Parts: sequence; structure tokens; C-alpha cells
Amino acid sequence: MKKQIILLLLLIVAVTTTKAQKNSGFNFYSDRDVYISGETMLAKVYTPLDNPSRIVYLDLVNPHGIRITGISLQVKENQADGFLELPDSLSSGTYLIRAYQKNTEGKLKTIREVWISNRFDEMGKAGHLNRLDGLEKINDRLTDQIDIEDIASEYRINSAITSQIKIEKSLLNEIDGNLLVSIAQIEPSFVGSSFKWTSDHGKEGWTEDKGIILSGTITDKKTSVPLTGATVYLTIPDSIPGFQYYVTRTDGRFYFLLNNYFGPIEAFIQCYSTSQTQRPKIKMDELFAPPGTSPKFTQQPIPEEFKKSIARNIDAITFQKIFAQDKFRTLNLKKEKQNLYPYYGEPTKTVNPQLFIDLPNFNEISKELLSGVKFRNYNNEPTLQVINSATRLFFEEKPLLLIDGIPVNDLNVIKNMGTKDIARIDICQNERFYGNLRFPGVVAIYSTKADYSILHESDQLIHLKLEAFQLPVALAEPSIPEPSIPDLRQVIYWNPSTIPSESFGVKCYTSTVTGTFKLVIRGRLKDGTIIFSEKQFEVK
Amino acid sequence: MTTKLLKTLLLFLVLIFAQNARSQEIQSPDLKFNKIKGVRFMPYLYYRGLPFLSNEWQSGKIEFTTGEIADSLNLVYSSFKDELIYYNKTLSAQIMIDKASLNGFWLTEKNGTTHQFRKQYYNGFSEGDHFFEVLSSGETDLLVYRKVELNTSILYKDEKGALKNMAYDPSYQYYFYSPKKGYTFVRLNKNSLLSKFNKQNQKPIKKLLRKNSISVNGEENFVRAWKIIEKEGFKVLFQEDSPQTQKKQL
Repeated sequence: MKKQIILLLLLIVAVTTTKAQKNSGFNFYSDRDVYISGETMLAKVYTPLDNPSRIVYLDLVNPHGIRITGISLQVKENQADGFLELPDSLSSGTYLIRAYQKNTEGKLKTIREVWISNRFDEMGKAGHLNRLDGLEKINDRLTDQIDIEDIASEYRINSAITSQIKIEKSLLNEIDGNLLVSIAQIEPSFVGSSFKWTSDHGKEGWTEDKGIILSGTITDKKTSVPLTGATVYLTIPDSIPGFQYYVTRTDGRFYFLLNNYFGPIEAFIQCYSTSQTQRPKIKMDELFAPPGTSPKFTQQPIPEEFKKSIARNIDAITFQKIFAQDKFRTLNLKKEKQNLYPYYGEPTKTVNPQLFIDLPNFNEISKELLSGVKFRNYNNEPTLQVINSATRLFFEEKPLLLIDGIPVNDLNVIKNMGTKDIARIDICQNERFYGNLRFPGVVAIYSTKADYSILHESDQLIHLKLEAFQLPVALAEPSIPEPSIPDLRQVIYWNPSTIPSESFGVKCYTSTVTGTFKLVIRGRLKDGTIIFSEKQFEVK
Repeated sequence: MTTKLLKTLLLFLVLIFAQNARSQEIQSPDLKFNKIKGVRFMPYLYYRGLPFLSNEWQSGKIEFTTGEIADSLNLVYSSFKDELIYYNKTLSAQIMIDKASLNGFWLTEKNGTTHQFRKQYYNGFSEGDHFFEVLSSGETDLLVYRKVELNTSILYKDEKGALKNMAYDPSYQYYFYSPKKGYTFVRLNKNSLLSKFNKQNQKPIKKLLRKNSISVNGEENFVRAWKIIEKEGFKVLFQEDSPQTQKKQL
């Protein structure tokens, strides 16, 4: 009897654990399922309720799991929304959009299948529709507690749609966060689904609860042994360059946090060893989840109607591109307080060489324009010194030399820089400190080109092009300056942050695109269940 | 038999909890690093008096303009130059922290008393950003600018026998401050305190101070007095509240 009770207890515990894992509420939705290359996909992600990570990654991957492009979205209240630019050069076929958070990337990913047709090649070599198979499908719950009122079965082009959404009070109390409300054209022959992708067992990443984490290891190139005490710099060039440093411990690991950057950024990672005999080498950790095991696909024939629809969409997208009809507008972002001056301090003086006569090299510039800066190039062995304004003596050591905010060790890099190459020089004539780093004076050169071509990648310098947080956007209002220009929007309403209430209205206008459209309302309940309600209509 | 089953159950539960704990998350790495910006502190010339707020390093924390906090620092406030100095143990260097990078700082005395200093813009004489110690905070703050001046003094011999005629003299300045109305200077005496209130309120305030047996002399009593007055809802008169200013504005 006791044995049975204990077994029952074990069963209850096991069931509870499994249930908790299943109801993670992780899913994401795109505005449509069929796209043309060069288009923009709008997306809304519900992240797992129990994951403290503040970042969710959304990647476009090919059927083999290879990442083509992606974005990182800031998670607020376990939800995120953004957009993904689909490259123009994609060949026609089924692609996957995968959503994951770094700390659970090996265990849990959500993938959604989408069809993308090449804008210049229609169906291309695609002879069939590849559909995902053998994965656990995420089924959302259709609810009748959300009532979509006042939607007719048919609308004319360029006409107003006004709908009233009513949510039952009992459901309203259960909804967690905001709702996604969208009205977009649908393609009945390709309806995408979301799946749980748990087949691959990659290494779990860090919990990014404060921002994006860049990490890696410094090793000795000769011995491949992790280096202790190596100083690693991260520079993000800008008008006020961003800078962080990390001193490695016994494991040679380093970490940097990107928490105040938006959009595409360039980052430079450099390392310096304390010993001259060591040859440090930077090895960055993977920035994105590995491909993992390729999912299985089944092949379906391409319906004729689908081909026709793709041809129509290609015309529409080409037209929108020609007339620069923006899909969305960037929202104003309340920026967090940033540093008001560079990490190397407020410059003692700033010189703009372009205001003076043309000088051919840095030697001449230092002699003629930079008092308190001594640059000499005897026997092709350049030296640089800065005066210490507190003692009125030159520092014996080399100052911190920066080009476009990036630390440079080799003085040969600047010796040929003349007036035409330099936009501005900041000089700090004092002994500066930044944390545990000491700079005997600073010479910061800002180049006219600012293309960093003067710096070459090596074992000690890595140039990264990253996507920091995406700036929030909203669907653009249609602005058609002339009635003769058609409005070719396929998404006529998209609000991923609708605040749930007992009753709210949805107002928009149909475009000149005809076909089947669908109004969908999605939300997540506190237990992680995703619910939805939808209504279809025709635009003729 | 029962013991064996209980042991199995216990082991099973431990395994489940261990798995849960493991699956929870991988904690963020330690991303805190020293971001303090500054220049090397050059010692002041030696004269009688103290150019610093205290004659030893105090434990404290600083708040950057970005809102980040760095704590467990060895700090000393230079009242003479209105600058904050910290001791960097790794570099064995005394570093004057860039005022532009700070919002304020806290100093803790050995007895545990904490003093809060806030960087504020002062638009009066010696205009600019200054560190003010917050003696009382509320709708109207009571602040002190702990200024030390280098003045000429009577001739004296220093410890090394050198003849000198300069000394560091404290010249603390007290202000009532309101973010909307600005600063109003006050001295540490009863008359000056009363003059900061309108005439109808001065009598009840005097009564209130008598009732609480507070004689307004010295900083501590002044702060006590102001806290009691503020609690009773009396409002400080700022320059813009004075009838003369109002007339001028009209």
C-alpha cells in the first residue's frame, strides 16, 4: 500500500514538472506567411514566462539551419516585437524563422516556416513546397471569449474598416501582457505553423538579463593555453566612443555587456598581454545559436493559384520599392542617460587641422599645431609623448593613442596621416585613469573617412559588425500623395502592443490589394497558453 | 522496506530539484568592472588647517551620471577644491574623480553615520556644479556647501619649522533648496532661520522651537529645528516669493 502511495506521489511530481515545462508560452508570430525577398517581416514574440533574459533573438535560417540574418529584440514583460529585413538575394523556397534566448538556446527554440520568393526570379528552381514535418507543433487555443464585431464579409478597396473587439471579463483577468492585433492578407495554400525545436543540444549561453553579452577566450597562440591577466578592450566607435575593458582570470575568459546600443554597430575587440613573450589570440564565442540538427521536411506540389499570387505580390513589392512606400516608422525612444564625454576624459585641447594650412604627415602636424605633443620619426622608429600639464614635464611613456576611438599600439599607423586624413585631434595633457587602466596622456585622432581601414584585423584585433537592440517601430500610416498611385499594403493593421480591455476599437483602411484578409487577435494567458480569435473577409 | 522506499523518494526529489535548478538558468557573468574616470591627484601645499572634509580615507560609494553605483571605495572629499578623491588599491594611486561623471556620492564615518553629497548646479557666486551635502531632504532641502578657503593668516611655523602665512579655513555655506525655486542662503542662527519664513509664521515657529527645547546654534540643532518646522508644514520663503520680487515681476 505504502509503495503504491509513494509511486503515486512520484507520478504527481513528474507530471507537474512536465506540465510546467510544456506551458512555457514561448511562441512568435509574423504578419504573414508568404513574403517576397527584400520585404520586411513584422514579428511579435512571447518569451517563456520563467526566463529572466532580456533579449530574444530572431533569426532567418535556411532549411539546413544556417543563419542568414537576424535581429535581437529587447524583451519587456516577457514580450517583444520588431521587424526582420529579408535580404533581396534569397532564392525562392521555404525558410525558417527561429526564436530563442541564449540561456536556453540548446534546449528550446521556436521555429516558424515561411515562404520567400525571389523578387527577380518568381518561383525560381523551387518545384515544390517544403513543409516542416516531425516536430512538435505549437497549437494555440481558439477562444470564443474574444468577440470581433462589425467585420463584414466583403470590403471594397480603399475603404474604411471599423471593428469593435470585446473581451469577456473572466478572460481579461487571465491575460498576461499586451495583445497582438493584426489585419493582413493571407495565402490559403501556405499557412505557416510554429514548432518547438528541441532536437539539438547546443551549449547554453548566458542569461542576458541586462543586455547582450559578448564573450570569448584569450589564449597563447603558441601553446593554446588560456592567458591570465590579459587586458581585453572593447571599443564601439562613435562621436563619443564606447569603451569597456576586462582583465582575464585563469580561464582566459572575457565578457562585455552591450546594454545601451541600438541598431547596427561596429565593435573592435583587442587584447594585450602583460608578458612580451606571450602571443595573445582572441577567440570569440559564437554570437548566435548553432544550426543544430536539420529538421525534416515533406514536399507538396505548388498550386497554380499560389504561383499567381506570388507573381502579383512581386509586382506589388517592386512598385512599393519604386515609390518608397515605407512599411513602418521608427518610434521615438526615451534614451537612457549616456556618458557626456569620452572615457579618456574631457580633452585639454581639441585641434582641427583642417582649419590650418595643409600639412603632409603627423610629424608636421604635431610640430606645427599640437603644442605639448612630441611626435618624432627618427630612423623610421616613431615616438610619441605628451606633456603633463600638472608637472610641466613630458611623460616618459607613450600616451594612449586612439584612432576613431580605437586604441592603437603601432605608431607607424599615424605617421603618414596628414591634414586631409584628420578631422579632429583631442589631447589630454594629464595622467588619466579609467578604472584600473592608466594613460600617461591621450592623443585621440578622429579621421575624416572614419572607415577603420587603417586598422587591420589580426589575432589581437577583431572587428565585429553587430546588431544591437532594434529600435521600436510602428506600422506606417498610408500616405499616398496622388490618387493614381496605388496603395499596395498587404498588412493594413499591426499593433503588437494593444492594451487589453473589455472593449476596444480597430480602425484602418483597406489598400488596393484584393484577396482574402484576416483580422487576428492573439494574447497569452498567465498560465502560458496562447489564445486567439480571428475573422476573415474578402477585399474586392 | 519503508525506509528504503523513503530513501528512493528522497533521492528522486533531490534529482528533480537538482535538474530544475540546473535548467533554471546560467547566471550572468560578473560584468561589473571599474569605470571610474579621473586624473592623478596632486597633493596640495601644506598649510595649517585641513583642506579635506576628513583627515582619513572614508568608506563610501559613488553614483555615476548614468545612474550606476560603484561602492566599497576609499574616498575623501576635498573641501578646498570641491573634488572627490578615491584610492585605487590596484594602482596604488590617489585619483581625482571627474566631477562631470558623477551625480553624487555617499561617505560613511567609522561610527556608521552616512553623509550624502549631491552634485548640483549653483547659479550664484562661483557659478557651476558643486557637491552639496544633503542635511535634510524633502520638498525643500537643507544643503551645505562644505567649502574650505585658503586665506592669509598670522605668521606661524609649520611642523618642519618653515614660516608660513596661509591657512585652510572652513567657510561652510548653508542653503535651503527647492528644485523649482532655487537656493536661499541661511546662517546657522535663530534670526537667520526665522527670516526665511513670513512674519505671520515666525511667532508660531519660535513657539514650536521653545516647545521642543531647541536652541538654534550649531549645525546639528539647526537641522533638528528645520526638520520639526518642516514637519509642521511651514514653507521657506525663497527670493521669488518675497513681496519685493513679486512687485518687480509685476
